[in-house]
Amino acid sequence: MMPISQSVIKKDHLAKACGQAMYVADYDTTQMLQGLILRSPHAHAKILSMTYPPLPEGYFTVDYRDVPGINEVHIVKDDTPVYADATVEYIGDPIMMLVGPDERELERLLAQIEVNYELLPAIIDVRDGDTAFFDYHFGKGDMDQAWAEADQIFEECFETGYQEQAYLEPQGLIADYNQGKITVRGSMQCPYYVHGALAKALGLTPDKVRVIQDVTGGGFGGKEDYPSILACQVAVAAYKAKGQPVRVIFGRREDMEFTSKRHPSRCTYKAAVKNGRVTALDADVIFNAGAYTTLSAVVLQRGIIAASGVYDIPALKVHGAAIKTNTVPNGAYRGFGAPQTFFAVEMLMEHIANALDEEPLAFKLRHMVRQGSVTSTGGRYHFPVPLPAMVDEVRKMSDFEQKRQVYARQQTGTTRRGIGISLWFHGAGFTGSGERDIIKAVTRLHKLADGRVEILASQSDIGQGIKTTLCKIVANELNLPLDQVSYDNPDTDRVPDSGPTVASRSLMTVGELLRRAAIRLRSQWQEGVEQTVEEHFKEPDFVIPFYIDKFQGDAYPTYAWGVCAVEVAVDTLTGVNEITGTWASFDVGTPIDLNIVIGQMEGGLLQGLGYASMEQLAADQKGRIRNHSFSDYIIPTAMDVPLMKVQLHVEAYPDGPYGAKGAGELPLVGAAPAYMSALEQALAGPINHIPFSAEDALKLIRQSRRA
Amino acid sequence: MVNGFSPATLQEALEIRARHSVTPYAGGTDLMINPDPDAVYLFVNHIPEMKQIEQRGDQLHLGAACTYTQLLEHPLTPAILKAAIDLIAAPAIRNEGTIGGNIANGSAKADSVLIFFVADASLKLNSQSAERIIPIRDFYRERKQLDLRPDELITEIILPTKWLDHYYYKKVGARKALAISRVVFAGLLTWQDDVIAHCATAFGAVSGVVLRCPELDALLIGKTRSEAQAAKAGYLAAFGDMIAPIQGRVSAEYRKEVCLNLLTDFLTSNGI
Ligand SMILES: Cc1cc2nc3c(=O)[nH]c(=O)nc-3n(C[C@H](O)[C@H](O)[C@H](O)COP(=O)(O)OP(=O)(O)OC[C@H]3O[C@@H](n4cnc5c(N)ncnc54)[C@H](O)[C@@H]3O)c2cc1C
Repeated sequence: MMPISQSVIKKDHLAKACGQAMYVADYDTTQMLQGLILRSPHAHAKILSMTYPPLPEGYFTVDYRDVPGINEVHIVKDDTPVYADATVEYIGDPIMMLVGPDERELERLLAQIEVNYELLPAIIDVRDGDTAFFDYHFGKGDMDQAWAEADQIFEECFETGYQEQAYLEPQGLIADYNQGKITVRGSMQCPYYVHGALAKALGLTPDKVRVIQDVTGGGFGGKEDYPSILACQVAVAAYKAKGQPVRVIFGRREDMEFTSKRHPSRCTYKAAVKNGRVTALDADVIFNAGAYTTLSAVVLQRGIIAASGVYDIPALKVHGAAIKTNTVPNGAYRGFGAPQTFFAVEMLMEHIANALDEEPLAFKLRHMVRQGSVTSTGGRYHFPVPLPAMVDEVRKMSDFEQKRQVYARQQTGTTRRGIGISLWFHGAGFTGSGERDIIKAVTRLHKLADGRVEILASQSDIGQGIKTTLCKIVANELNLPLDQVSYDNPDTDRVPDSGPTVASRSLMTVGELLRRAAIRLRSQWQEGVEQTVEEHFKEPDFVIPFYIDKFQGDAYPTYAWGVCAVEVAVDTLTGVNEITGTWASFDVGTPIDLNIVIGQMEGGLLQGLGYASMEQLAADQKGRIRNHSFSDYIIPTAMDVPLMKVQLHVEAYPDGPYGAKGAGELPLVGAAPAYMSALEQALAGPINHIPFSAEDALKLIRQSRRA
Repeated sequence: MVNGFSPATLQEALEIRARHSVTPYAGGTDLMINPDPDAVYLFVNHIPEMKQIEQRGDQLHLGAACTYTQLLEHPLTPAILKAAIDLIAAPAIRNEGTIGGNIANGSAKADSVLIFFVADASLKLNSQSAERIIPIRDFYRERKQLDLRPDELITEIILPTKWLDHYYYKKVGARKALAISRVVFAGLLTWQDDVIAHCATAFGAVSGVVLRCPELDALLIGKTRSEAQAAKAGYLAAFGDMIAPIQGRVSAEYRKEVCLNLLTDFLTSNGI
């Protein structure tokens, strides 16, 4: 282990542990107004008229007519209105905000607002969708030939459900408009995304917009795009309040019902097999986008680039579509489109292997990519692919072969056991040329006269420890004690745009910029004077340029790798399963802090296991999400954490700081297929959807009893 | 501000209960879900008479305001009740939540209530002017309809302990902790001199109130093993007719199938 990997106490540990950390809800509200949002009760309707009740003094309304700039939230495309104008497109679509000093009075008044709607036909089920927000095609190799020469063709449809980020702290922001300048602060992942959205909606120049991240109680992607939407709404209210800050903090119900979630998916795969090898794959990937485009384009891109998993398949045809439905817009969640396609491709490989009477793991190993292999988009795996070694590690830790054989025999009693394994990657950093063409990250180091150094960057610590790891890098290069290097929550008036806190990019990309900045500062170091150095992103030379219109080139400079085995015991009386063990090996390059990385790996794995099983969430026939509380949306508790053995396999990445690459998202991505593969062995039946419930298990048990 | 009375004795509590329109408040773990801002509370969680645990002959007297944690830690608490409590909520809720609150909340998913049903427990209800003891089965008229007068408090649960040692218990929740029962089953069966001396079963979370059918369990009482085996199919079929679960977060079919699986397993594990 490198010295930098040694764990330290997290920079924000004490403040959080002692309750001193200031979350957005902790600020004194005596001088503040509160805002409450009126939302559409219909999935699709035209707003004919609105009648407001007489409002007491100090109360006012805010709607699309109050937006001083353009009534659009800048995300990727800008079709999300700040406030609905002509139509509402999903249950929960924000129509207006009622603002005033007392929350209970606001609730009372809000209930008196009358809106006249003309109902329009709504599309709730993605299969009925007729609008593709995004429609991508790419491929390689000779599909026709592979099809013509195939011994066997396999076809199967895989479905995955919603997943709610379930961060501990709900969405919340405070906006303040003073002397021509808007300031928005609160819970968020991407201060500069919010900054850009505010400038557009308020029609202000960038210098008149200030965004400050407060201590943020978790994000998992849920605070990537959504704060931009809420920020515009609250800022317009503050603009109208003229001088009094306005605060909006969601309750759990509002947060769960109306903010973005992981895209439900339907993936139809067709595979051609010749001489026991998959020669071609046709993947049709459908994501339910919800009512507006928000982040669907980029989520879908990452999903379909991973459509063939870690396998080297000569001919590939991929179609991906993000379909509009009149349901809550879906967005980012740890893994960003990849958990959906990895579930599909891993289960497909299992099923083909079973049909060919080969052990799935052996079958997968025969198809695996290696260093130099061509990626799905015609790029290269430039660096060693450590999967074979990682598979061996996991096999040993879990006693995989032995268990797999034992569980394959006839099982008696009321318990059925199984073990399964999955293999995956996660492309490190932004997809394609985003870093180079769009983000263009800038970071600064500011050295004070007394020799302390401050990091100036726009990364948000959302619990993942980025404050600590960035400081460790800088302190290490400057030979300073860790407490001499500081990193405050970003404030766009003070820090340059080093990009958003997404895509497992912060440590790898921004950390490397800071490392270089620190080296430069060291070489220019002068005692007793204030100094500043600045560093700009540069794409590594080896990268094959990526063209998003053709899906050609290196989608990612490098990859993080994961292998995970899951063992289960199913109670045949109830269908309830218990995970009796999980063993995983992860390659995220050099860990910059061992505790932090292990924490990320275990937490992500657990979220992946929850995704596959208990995290059930659905829109009903009207398009309403009914699981909007923690008693209805079930996530794992401490008691549900299974035995977890996680180990790191370090394949250092030369262009990341000390060899680090992306870490945050990786562990979630492939947990579900390992779990489902274990259940398949236990239940002796095929699984092609998640979440997979106890009820589903009981059905399979009944079927196999009949068979 | 929460309005309320904090009586120090049962006598005082019953006087307040008689004179004011109050909501009894024990641990507050059910009440806090949808707090009524206008409610006036009668805090019963510090009344000594309602926190006692005492064995008198074949009966265990449990104060209604005993918390789950108190019961888990007490040597007199029967194993079957501990097994159920162990799966209720999580430590923080168990520190506050009480068995009296569990009963008075009126839910058929209440986990300690199931044990009181299968054990044929009685409730002691007190008002300022009277005391009555009624079987828990009579206390629950239908879903959320309780035989509790506005001036009464549940003060004690009287638990016959004779048949509790040989038990079968299984709760199906959506996860391992902080999970409301989707199906929950308890069974008691005692052999004496090669015949079944006692058999009792109860199902939670399948209908408006806990399902307890002593007349069906009586089909097995007094039977030898071979007689019981012969009666098994009829017994299961009779329960199959009785169990008509409600559709909820899991389907009715699932609930029924699991109930019958557990009932069958209960018999199998008793050698029937
Ligand atoms: C997160 C969470 C998890 C939970 N998990 C479970 C679970 O797994 N299983 C389960 O069964 N329950 C569960 N519950 C429900 C709850 O904790 C239990 O029902 C508990 O026993 C209620 O007791 P209490 O003392 O808190 O009741 P309170 O909230 O104080 O009262 C509940 C009701 O009973 C009335 N009441 C209370 N005491 C008396 C009395 N002595 N006489 C007359 N009326 C009275 C009150 O007026 C009120 O109507 C859970 C609750 C929460 C919040």
